[in-house]
Amino acid sequence: MDANPSHGLKEPQRLPFESPKIRRLVLGSYWTIIIIALPFWWRLTSIERIALPSDHVRTQLNRNLIFPLDVQLDAPSFGNTTSHLSRELDEVLAQTLRASPTWRNLDIRMGISESAGHPSVASNAYTVVLGDHTAVKSPRQLFVNPKDASVQRLAGILSGLLAPEISPIQEQRVIQYSSRYRLAFTLLNENAASDLLVNSWDIEPAIKDHLLPILSKLNVLHNTTVESQVQYHAPLAFEPIEFTDGNTSIHGVTPEDLTVFVNSAEWTLSSSVSNDPVLHFVLFVPSSSRQPLCILDAHGSPTNQNAFLLPQWGGIFILNRDAQDMIMTHLTVADLVPVFSAFSNQLTALLGVPALPRGVPPEVASPLSDWQLDAVLRHRTSENVLNSQQTLDSIVKLVDQIESMPVDQTVRGDVQNALSALEEAYRSAVEPPAVPLRWSSEALSLASHAFFNPGMLAMLYFPAEHKYAVYTPLFASISVPLIVALGREIYAWRRERRTARNG
Amino acid sequence: MTLCVVQATPTIPQERYHEDLTIRPLTDGKVVTAFTFTTLLGGASPRDPRDAESSAQHYTLFPLTLGQILREYSVTELHLSLNAGKWNYNSWGFPDHPSVGTGAELWAWMADGGPLSVDDRWMGLRNALAGLFCASLGSLDDRRTSSPASAFPLSSVPFPHDSTPYALRHATLPSEHVCTENLTPFLKLLPCKSRAGLARLLDPQRVFDTDWHGLGVHVRSTEAGIELRLGAQAVFDPVRRSRGKRRDWSFQSLFDRQIDVACPVASSSTIHLVVPDIRGYNLSPEPVASNDTVNVYSPTSHVPLDIAMSWPEEHIFKYPLPPPAPQTPLSVKRTLYGSSQTRGVLFVSFSNNDHSPITVGYLETLPALVTLWMHTMKVDVGGIARDDLVSDMIYHPPLLLANGHHGPSTLQTTLTIPGKSTLRLSVDVSKTFLKYTEHPPDAMRGWDLPPAVLFPVLLLLDGERTNASLAGQSIPKRIYTPTLLVDLPTPDFSMPYNVIILSCTLMTLIFGSIFNLLTRKWTIVKMHD
Repeated sequence: MDANPSHGLKEPQRLPFESPKIRRLVLGSYWTIIIIALPFWWRLTSIERIALPSDHVRTQLNRNLIFPLDVQLDAPSFGNTTSHLSRELDEVLAQTLRASPTWRNLDIRMGISESAGHPSVASNAYTVVLGDHTAVKSPRQLFVNPKDASVQRLAGILSGLLAPEISPIQEQRVIQYSSRYRLAFTLLNENAASDLLVNSWDIEPAIKDHLLPILSKLNVLHNTTVESQVQYHAPLAFEPIEFTDGNTSIHGVTPEDLTVFVNSAEWTLSSSVSNDPVLHFVLFVPSSSRQPLCILDAHGSPTNQNAFLLPQWGGIFILNRDAQDMIMTHLTVADLVPVFSAFSNQLTALLGVPALPRGVPPEVASPLSDWQLDAVLRHRTSENVLNSQQTLDSIVKLVDQIESMPVDQTVRGDVQNALSALEEAYRSAVEPPAVPLRWSSEALSLASHAFFNPGMLAMLYFPAEHKYAVYTPLFASISVPLIVALGREIYAWRRERRTARNG
Repeated sequence: MTLCVVQATPTIPQERYHEDLTIRPLTDGKVVTAFTFTTLLGGASPRDPRDAESSAQHYTLFPLTLGQILREYSVTELHLSLNAGKWNYNSWGFPDHPSVGTGAELWAWMADGGPLSVDDRWMGLRNALAGLFCASLGSLDDRRTSSPASAFPLSSVPFPHDSTPYALRHATLPSEHVCTENLTPFLKLLPCKSRAGLARLLDPQRVFDTDWHGLGVHVRSTEAGIELRLGAQAVFDPVRRSRGKRRDWSFQSLFDRQIDVACPVASSSTIHLVVPDIRGYNLSPEPVASNDTVNVYSPTSHVPLDIAMSWPEEHIFKYPLPPPAPQTPLSVKRTLYGSSQTRGVLFVSFSNNDHSPITVGYLETLPALVTLWMHTMKVDVGGIARDDLVSDMIYHPPLLLANGHHGPSTLQTTLTIPGKSTLRLSVDVSKTFLKYTEHPPDAMRGWDLPPAVLFPVLLLLDGERTNASLAGQSIPKRIYTPTLLVDLPTPDFSMPYNVIILSCTLMTLIFGSIFNLLTRKWTIVKMHD
């Protein structure tokens, strides 16, 4: 370590801390720290994404809920043709079900019973008895007269009861399943200042007479709350067509106008105090200058219908008053009979209750037979199962698709609970139809709860690009000297090696 | 699963609807109008919060949308007011509907008990009303909620059968603006909307052009049933409309409408025209009944109705000089001064216009934006300190709540103001330094502080009070002071980005120089001559 005599300064290369080894060590330690820090940085800035049971969800998609149904023929009344009839029916029904798009999940097993004439309430089996007239009876009993006892007729009636055909139009009317509904009844006066003011109505007894029997039967499916109001000024948003028929002038509503009949801007029909879906039933009283208000058919001629249904929304009844009770301002229970029988039909259509097959008269004691109720329950159950399967699949797909979507423990918990509820629904398909419905409804609500979890939206408003933009002034300006120094050192090291090899 | 069955005993509640309009022309040419629409739901009582299941609800005149909210959150008493402008007590007197504080004010009395706590129901009620009236009532959260029970007492009849505890929740939002979007849902609550009856006059274009306007919803339960009172008040200035010439007015000129259709479902419909100290006017049409000061009209018997009041002998209206004496026994001024952004002084002066002393309750509810320093409170009359005039003082400092918010601070006291004199009260306040994210969009405007409230107090006459000789009368109704604007320190909102970029640059500079020193290769360069 001797000083250079020519200029009196130390040679920098000879200083211990200026040796290339030390310099490379310094540079290497910088890079080591950066490389060690990288996983920490990655861990700290990553978002929580707990793995979802995706495989389980995907296998669920292909599973179907199968309802085994036992139908017993009454051996004493059918006599010695019973076993033959049972075999034939089994074949025909199996064929019908295979052809039906909605009822493939039924597994009807025909059987013969010695005591089908006196079934127990607890049993889930359906019984068919040969009697003198065709009728349905509780519990789950069907009487057929000898004329209907042929294989073709009986198979038709049984498939109409167990697997009623649902047309796409009927399907579209049915409101989405919910365990709670609100039924909002509104008496709408188009203009209270006209002569035809209806002030009040006997709503409570009318509901009790017409709707309560149906609602109490459907109790296993839905809880309902009832509310009613009277509105005195409810203008229409369109002008009905006026024409004369003989010497009276008639106002008509065309089918196109029916779609815009509800004037949501002016009619305060219901509040948003709860999240339960609402079914509206509107009794519309046109003003005296608009009476009578008729519904027109597609050709523009008046029909004698005065009620119509808005799919998934509710029903409307147009009340045209006769000339003699012009001054009446109160609607009695008797006045409301046509209105509420229309409303009860609309209600069953909106809730997806199938009609009885042709030739089977309704039960006198009850507005809904056990067969109809079971058909709704089975249909709603399979609908719920399908919906929850699809919702769960959408969650999995969405989480796979969007990288920056956080998935926390609650979402996974909901998904797992929904899956186990589905499992329970499959397992309980042999039990009374209300049990699988309950599980399927729970699965659906858990799946939707997971899908709409607000925590999954957190990152949508603060994307990763934002972070990079903010920290670029730091990262860019630090990385440039580091990379340049590294490159220079590597270049110098290679040149050294080459000179060492050559020299 | 239980089905909500129609009640076993079908008691059809008697529902009645009354409408009333009071018009008070004033000596300074203004016209004060107050609409009151009362619906009585006879025989009904508020829902007991302990009833788990809500029953069927059937209404004819009572609005279903409001009835549902009241039942859902089992509200016994509800008062909501949405006002714009400062009510000028001195020249307009006491208003017909006492809730005239600027902005939104909501208070509710609820019975305690049941599965949901009072605070949960209060939150639900706020949000439901916000949705119903299109107002920002949802922001009346725990930062603005207090329960000053003596200023806003329960006026309903409590449940008769037991001693249920009741709780009050009160909140104000002074920066709320009232406009057409609030009037439209308000009118929808009326059975005849604005298509018939007195509500026909409520034309938004005219109502929102007035010097002062306000809407109110008041629900309470009386012995007869649940009473809903919807009120709309407005102070018109016909002199301004006629470009400073005449004070004549008519329905057509004030509202741009007449009452052309009577509301067929109203049990009664009356118009009171109160003219206490105005002379030399003509009225058309003639009133149905009248005495010295009140003229009564009935729109049910007289349609279309266009009441007009004119001064035929007066060519140009002259503003009365000197200005008429204050119409209320008490005048209040409230200011916040101090130029700094950290400290200030809250100064309130109470002037007694009467000869006898007045005793009032004084309630100040301030959000945690400002903190009162109670040791600096000074009370003086004519420059002489009079601490003996202050009694029953309660002060709640802003409390830190569980969710990290600060609750409001409340100062409640009873003040006695001697006759024909002015009491001055001053308290030092400090202003908080808010977090960057807590500022509203227009932060430079400042923050509105809610109005202070003066309320009537029960006077004890049995000598319990030390200054019983001073205690004269109280005021008949609540008085609201104007709101205040507080100027808080506001940051430059681009600051976080500037800070990030500046500190990044600094870091880079330090890093760069150290790194260079450590890794640079030093050599000696030989200079050739």
